[in-house]
Amino acid sequence: MKTLLVLTCALLSVSAHAGDLVKDVRARLADAPLVRGQFEQKKTVAGFKKPLVSKGDFLLARDQGVLWNTRTPFASTLTLTRKSLSAEQGQGGAAYHLDSTKEPALAAVNELLFALLAGDVSTLQKRFKVEGALVGPTGWRLELTPTDAGLARVFKHIQLEGDAYVRQVKMDETRGDSSVILFDKLAQTPPPDATEAERLGK
Amino acid sequence: MANKLAILWALVVLAVGVHQVSFWRSARLDTDVLALLPEDEQAPEVDAATRKLADEAGRQVVLLVGAQDWASAQKVADEATRVLEQASDVLEPAVVDTSALEQAVDFYRPYRDRLLTPSQRQWLTRATPEELGGTALMKLYQPAGARMTDWNADPLGLWPDWWQARAAETSARPRDGRLWLSGEGREWVLLTWKSKVSAFALGDGSRVTSVVEQARARVEATVPGARLVAAGVPLYAEAAAAQASWEMSTIGFGSLAAVLLLVWLTFRSLRPILLVGVSLTLGCAVALTVTALVFDRVHLLTLVFGSSLVGVAEDYGFHYFAARQGKAPSERGPVMRSLLPGMALALVTSVVAYLALGVAPFPGLRQMAVFSAAGLTAAFLTVVCWFPSLDRGALPVTAFSERFSASITRWPRITSTRGWWLTGAVLTVLVAVGLWKLKPQDDLRQLQGAPPNLIADQRELGRLLGLPSPAQFFLVEGDSDEQVLAREATLKQHLDTLVSEKVFAGYRAVSDWLPSQAQQREDAALSARAEAQAVAAVSESTGEAPTRATFAEEPLTPSHFLSGPVASAIRQQWLGTLGARQYSVLMLRGLNDPKQLPKLEAVAHGLEGIRWVDKTAEISGLLGRYRRIMGGLIVAGYVAVLLTLVARFGRQAWRAWLPSVLGTLITLALFGWSGAPLQLFTVLGLVLLLGMGVDYGIFLLEHPGDGSAWLAVALAGVSTLLSFGLLGLSATPALRSFGLAMLLGEVTIWILTPCFRLPPGKATH
Repeated sequence: MKTLLVLTCALLSVSAHAGDLVKDVRARLADAPLVRGQFEQKKTVAGFKKPLVSKGDFLLARDQGVLWNTRTPFASTLTLTRKSLSAEQGQGGAAYHLDSTKEPALAAVNELLFALLAGDVSTLQKRFKVEGALVGPTGWRLELTPTDAGLARVFKHIQLEGDAYVRQVKMDETRGDSSVILFDKLAQTPPPDATEAERLGK
Repeated sequence: MANKLAILWALVVLAVGVHQVSFWRSARLDTDVLALLPEDEQAPEVDAATRKLADEAGRQVVLLVGAQDWASAQKVADEATRVLEQASDVLEPAVVDTSALEQAVDFYRPYRDRLLTPSQRQWLTRATPEELGGTALMKLYQPAGARMTDWNADPLGLWPDWWQARAAETSARPRDGRLWLSGEGREWVLLTWKSKVSAFALGDGSRVTSVVEQARARVEATVPGARLVAAGVPLYAEAAAAQASWEMSTIGFGSLAAVLLLVWLTFRSLRPILLVGVSLTLGCAVALTVTALVFDRVHLLTLVFGSSLVGVAEDYGFHYFAARQGKAPSERGPVMRSLLPGMALALVTSVVAYLALGVAPFPGLRQMAVFSAAGLTAAFLTVVCWFPSLDRGALPVTAFSERFSASITRWPRITSTRGWWLTGAVLTVLVAVGLWKLKPQDDLRQLQGAPPNLIADQRELGRLLGLPSPAQFFLVEGDSDEQVLAREATLKQHLDTLVSEKVFAGYRAVSDWLPSQAQQREDAALSARAEAQAVAAVSESTGEAPTRATFAEEPLTPSHFLSGPVASAIRQQWLGTLGARQYSVLMLRGLNDPKQLPKLEAVAHGLEGIRWVDKTAEISGLLGRYRRIMGGLIVAGYVAVLLTLVARFGRQAWRAWLPSVLGTLITLALFGWSGAPLQLFTVLGLVLLLGMGVDYGIFLLEHPGDGSAWLAVALAGVSTLLSFGLLGLSATPALRSFGLAMLLGEVTIWILTPCFRLPPGKATH
């Protein structure tokens, strides 16, 4: 069953024709080792009439991980590092933990999420056909289409918009669900506090 | 009468010739060591399991290419692939079907609710409604949570874990469009190729092996410290074929050249060379034909062993020419008649000894026995039926043979003197100590002649990939599919404890992919209850009314599963119906420590319908049992031979008998002194020795004081020595030990026999 795997997010290098665009977008993005801010996520899921909206704050530390703290409609935390994915709910005691060192598919998903939030275009370019345009004096928009079968099983299409930071991520899943994440109040300070640093160290 | 026999034999030879042509056109030769192993008459289902597991590999060549880091590993994998691609007439990439995952996921989708891992089962049983609801909500709201099915068909996100558990059957994972694994200090890329050339073709060169070696060289040259590990049946088959053809030509042509040289030295005439050559060729051809007719396929090792036949089958021709030398051509008939009783007796003892090898239930040995017995008989018949008619001219005595024949009178002869008694006493002590030092060994490895680097690669590959062992497994039995699957589940519960104690890494069972129907119903009920609670919690939190998807009404049945896309990977473990019972095999991964085997054996004890099969131990046990049985047979054989000899030679019989007994004991003592182990195949060599060693004594007693008999015995001894000595060069430990026993025994008997000859002027009858 070598070929049967949960998530086959294989990377395939493609020759990007969007060389200039990528260079321009990277020039407009701030080269920040740390970004924090607030998010609003709207998920459209089959079986639900209205989008599922959640709000909270996040921290993206380059080379370390992402902390995703949902505040509404219920409190929960998601910690995504190079080594693992763990989620915990404030009440009810629900929690789960996944080790990604043994499952490269999970590691690949983590890497993708990092790249999307950080606007890491050169990483994204390895797995997507990148198209798009510069918007106004500081903005840009990118259209990503998966180039490998593994990723195409999960995503049909991803759209990124931003300026010095990524401001919006829109993901269309192959199975029909979709989600839009909007970012706000983005800043490069303060550095991680003790609790945050501990979570990132996991 | 003699002419009729000659014509009859000519007809047989003609038929054999026709068969030979058709045989070599489509050589059905066997290289698989398993084919040499005995069948288990008591447990045909164990046999069926072993063979089914062995057939699986077929033409596959599996390679792991590794380097210190992932980037270098990918680079060297590309280099290796380039080399393999160039050899497109030899190898082709095994097609990895990229749609296999989708097909499998689609196949299982209607049954998602009844496919749970043991830890999920546990969690669902004890989780509170709050915990279930919380987990469902978290997974629902998680960003970029990629699911394998719609949310309402798996609200708790259980399915990916089930697939993860299935994927754990191999340590290879997709990474960057390749199959990746990490282990033993390196990152590896897995490459799977298939051989396009026929599994065995004698003299075709080792084509797959040489391509793999080129790839290995390229890998090692590209990145320092990079490695290539390769394994596969084609590599073993090629190694076996190359080895066998080398050994066959060394042993066969080596002894043939020696025999013909001896004939030339002794007779200085072309006719004896031609006729002896004819008798040997016919001996080998008939041997092969009879073997091919009796057995379905001829094993390569039979041919290797059979090449030593040359050194034995020449005896009859030697005897004839030694006796006929210097006599008028008109005396051919009487010479043959006077030789016939001794030659027939010698043939019978040798054939009986060869056939005795076939007592052990090893198909390989039986082939060797039939091959040799048929070959000897054919050589004998050729000499008896054809030689008197074909050998028409004069054959003068040569100086060499005259001098050699006379040497018998100068050979030491044992008499009742103090010196000889003393020698005897010293020899007795040395032999006794040697025998006491003798260590038996019944390791299965004596059958394995594969080059050590292939075996090392195979082991490393198995370890890295976590491949299940084909030699140790559990055989599950039941009177229905359902019972077999349920018993597997019970067994797995016991094994899980051992897995958590790290006794072995894991297992592969059909019930992982096809749970018993009872289990499916139970799990479906469990997930239905838990997911209803989860959906309710999500409804409450979102204010919407999502509904849980519906699943197949009937459980997944064995017949549906076996026709599905996943079955091919596990089908070899599903033995189906044998007799009136159902069987399956549960395989173990990461079982590297033989000391842990008793723990596994113990698991099977308390469980009904579960049998622990340890093929390695079983065969070693069998080798040991037959070593003892054949040992007993030798003792009985010597008694029987003594009685036969007494019937013909009366009180002088011991003179032919004792040298062989002493030869056997001295050989064993030499094994003891040198530290060489006593194996079944050593003992088998001694069985053969019993049949051949006595021949020399018989000839010397039949023709006392006749220098020509001594000449024939000497020639026969030297050529037999040579061919078995050459067999001692074989890379297969079993054949080597066999050859060595024969060699040592023959030398000793050859030296001793004339020492026990009759005093001059005496005759037995």
